[in-house]
Amino acid sequence: MTRASKKRLYLVILEIVIVIVGLVYIYPVFLMFMNSVKPFREVVMDVIALPSKIEWKNYSYVMDKMNYWSLFLNNVIITVIGIAGIVLFSSLSAYIIERRPNKYTNFIHTLIITPMLIPFQTIMITLLKVMNVLHLSGSIWGLGIQYWGFGIPMATFIYCNFLHTIPKELDESAKIDGASTLRTFFSVIFPLLKNVTITVIVLDVMWIWNDFLLPLLMVNSSAKTKTLVLSAYTFVGQFNTQWQYAMASMVLAIVPSIIVFVLLQKYIIEGVVAGAVKG
Amino acid sequence: MGAKRKEQIENVLFTLPAVILVSATIYIPFILSGYYSLTKWNGISRDPEFIGFQNFKTIFTDTSSNFLNSILFTTRYTVVFIIFANIFALALAVALTQKFKLANLMRGVFFVPYIMSMTIVGFIWKFIFSQGFAKLFEMTGWQWLNLSWLGDPKQAFYSVAFVGIWQSVGFYIVLYIAGLQAIPKDILEAATVDGASGFRRFFSVTFPLLWPSITTCVFMSLTNSLKVFDIILALTQGGPGKATASVTLEIYREAFQNNNYGLGSAESIVYFVFVLVLTQVVLKAFNKRDVGL
Amino acid sequence: MKKINVLLLVCIFAAMLVSAVSAADIYMFIPSPEYADAINALIEEYKTVAPDVNINYETTQSDYPTLLKAKINAGSTPDIFGSTSGKEIAVYLDYSYNFADQPAAEAMTDAVKGVMMSGDEVHGFAIKGNYFGMLYNKDIFEEVGITEFPKTLEGLKEAAEKISAAGYQVFSDGFGEWWVFKHAWQTFFDAASDDPAALADAFIKGEAHWADYPVLYNNWFDFVDLVVKYGDAKPLESFLANEVADFAVGKSAIVVGQGAWVEADMLAINPDLHLGFVGYPVDDDPDHARVIGGSDQALRINKDSAVLQDVLDFVNWWYTSDYGKDWFNNVAGVIPPVKGAVSPDMEVIKQGDALAESDGVAALSITYFTDASHQAFGEIMQSYIAGTIDKDTACKQIEETWVKLEN
Repeated sequence: MTRASKKRLYLVILEIVIVIVGLVYIYPVFLMFMNSVKPFREVVMDVIALPSKIEWKNYSYVMDKMNYWSLFLNNVIITVIGIAGIVLFSSLSAYIIERRPNKYTNFIHTLIITPMLIPFQTIMITLLKVMNVLHLSGSIWGLGIQYWGFGIPMATFIYCNFLHTIPKELDESAKIDGASTLRTFFSVIFPLLKNVTITVIVLDVMWIWNDFLLPLLMVNSSAKTKTLVLSAYTFVGQFNTQWQYAMASMVLAIVPSIIVFVLLQKYIIEGVVAGAVKG
Repeated sequence: MGAKRKEQIENVLFTLPAVILVSATIYIPFILSGYYSLTKWNGISRDPEFIGFQNFKTIFTDTSSNFLNSILFTTRYTVVFIIFANIFALALAVALTQKFKLANLMRGVFFVPYIMSMTIVGFIWKFIFSQGFAKLFEMTGWQWLNLSWLGDPKQAFYSVAFVGIWQSVGFYIVLYIAGLQAIPKDILEAATVDGASGFRRFFSVTFPLLWPSITTCVFMSLTNSLKVFDIILALTQGGPGKATASVTLEIYREAFQNNNYGLGSAESIVYFVFVLVLTQVVLKAFNKRDVGL
Repeated sequence: MKKINVLLLVCIFAAMLVSAVSAADIYMFIPSPEYADAINALIEEYKTVAPDVNINYETTQSDYPTLLKAKINAGSTPDIFGSTSGKEIAVYLDYSYNFADQPAAEAMTDAVKGVMMSGDEVHGFAIKGNYFGMLYNKDIFEEVGITEFPKTLEGLKEAAEKISAAGYQVFSDGFGEWWVFKHAWQTFFDAASDDPAALADAFIKGEAHWADYPVLYNNWFDFVDLVVKYGDAKPLESFLANEVADFAVGKSAIVVGQGAWVEADMLAINPDLHLGFVGYPVDDDPDHARVIGGSDQALRINKDSAVLQDVLDFVNWWYTSDYGKDWFNNVAGVIPPVKGAVSPDMEVIKQGDALAESDGVAALSITYFTDASHQAFGEIMQSYIAGTIDKDTACKQIEETWVKLEN
């Protein structure tokens, strides 16, 4: 066998293995989908059994109840605002922190990423108080802005670690050409951070789109400002839960974000900074 | 001199938005909440009663409290989680960056559990552990399938850890993929020409270059598992008994269910300090330069 | 940043304009999303009565108490909010309005009103009344030749043996859920003394002990042991959903720790199910096997509400108008918490009503404690079932929990 055909065989085997592992892995997710098209009785009797007949009407019922498209728009607005701020502020501060290591920037670094250690639940009560004072609660715009604060620690952390791989010589040569710091950042560094930026966007879109607790706290008080996931929880009661609707609405809520995920992953390409990395 | 001054101004200016935003959403609420740790307050009444450090004393002297036990549980969970989540994620990321058609789709497959609602994750896994395992047991006769995976205090730990890892591996895969793709191909190719086999190549060439990603993922899996909450609430609510109560679950319950917001705040401060120290130690072990917290 | 400020101002202005148009906005934030459809219908109907009043209704189950606390502390207390009844009525007293002089309080049934009181004041109302007891499968009982459900604990043991011998699982235990324990336990607590409220007080003060009350120290644990023996193979892996399903399909004969709320789900699974509903047999006195009625959930009115009168009008309309009274039966399908309303045509409710009529109801003892200690109680019982602690340790821990969490 030639080297190339050996490699191809190896790839085919790997693909088969990965697909099998993936199928096992996603089985619970498949169960969620399958149970979303069952009647209530079949869901609680046996989650694992196949539906006796497929009830698409669960979906139309849920679409109607959720007010899907208007909440969809809310989700889009919240997510877009959130992502824009997170990417902009995090990459910029990570750039400064990484490129100008001194006492001040070290301190700022610690200050920005330490909140990753604070569990959200411990600040819930006082957070709403502060956000009321800042007039950021109760609106989807305000919620989007709040995600800046909650998303910056992780994003900055990721940016900082990946900025390592971009050689300093690149921005230094831009500087010699007389470009300002901002200019250097946006025209030289930021394009090189494409893969990281996409990664940050992927992780944050998935998080913001599907977040539950923060929207519950901030925008639950009006039907107009709700998000899709909040709405899906309407079917979950204390002693009675309409599982078939809960699952259908959850499928509807998360599908758009999965599509975004698969599309964005395509743009993560190999070796953007190929040849420019120090060993 | 002028340039230096300009640089200093830039340093402040460009990081200021991040600092302000983080302070407004996290630090200020955290500090306000910290004030209540010095009070006896149920979270509801209009006037919290100032009691000094009484709550902190309670944490370390109350023998009936489960707080210290929950720290033990969380630590065990964290160790298991970090090791397995990272090994699985790295292995899958390496596989998913090979060139085959379904790669992008499969990346999505591994990520979906991360965004599923916890209520539904809990509901479905409860059924898999009870009915699904029972059916498999009938088919195979394997005794381990017949254990009470959620109902026995010992096994419940593994069930929770397993579902926790299942749920979040996709998150780390995404990070590892980004790291793997940043490795220049010419270096790998050079290694191939040298005749290094797949495994050798991975450990001698890829692995060192991946170090920033590994540090990132280990740190994140550390912070995330130390904060573990949702998955436990959905699956066992800390039970049976208190066998799977994590620290955050204990704090949440103390503050909101037991109406001891003051004590809950004190616990969260104690825990914050614990976590801060722990992460420092772990990061020291991992080449400080790469992370620098 | 400036742009954001301008934007914010615009938003605030817009919000003010919108709110100026309608006369009154009532913000109603309550738990129990399972009644969302019914309450939306109620609100829709109220529009025809008071077109100027806009009711902004929101509901969630998860994290409700936490969210409520956050809202209260941030100064945005809902006009109508929820808590549990009984002990927790006192917890939110700073914020809740005493509507004892309102027609709604007048219309409330005594069983419900009893757990909404703080002294002479009425601080809560309910979406529904409830019944707690044992549900059993009449067909299985008939098949094994038991004509009447036993009223003593001994009788229950004998029945369990018979049913088990016939090849059925006797109990669906639900012991994976902490709240199943409190629902089952309260009848035992009621039998422990003539004045369960006073006994609860004594326990909370640390003056009473489990060991002094055989019906708690012996019978309650005997009952739990019995259920474990004849119940699910993995007792702590039994949760609400499979408890309901196993019983509905006729796999098991008796359901533990549930009540009126599960009937609809069970019938959705098996419309031919013949349900029986009785009180828990707790000792050798048949008079103690009574069902429990009342409401464990309370809705509260914010006493500082800017639209207090509008809120009161709404609640009074809900509780006294013809539509409102029928709503409980026709729309929500629940036991009406108001006098003189028709109960829905459901087995648990019909049999519960009949039993309440003939034997009287036992006190809703779960309301003497808060859910904080009920959850701890459930966890202690789970540890007992798992074998990590023995009975005496369990009793000691329960006593400690009550003293610690209820003071």
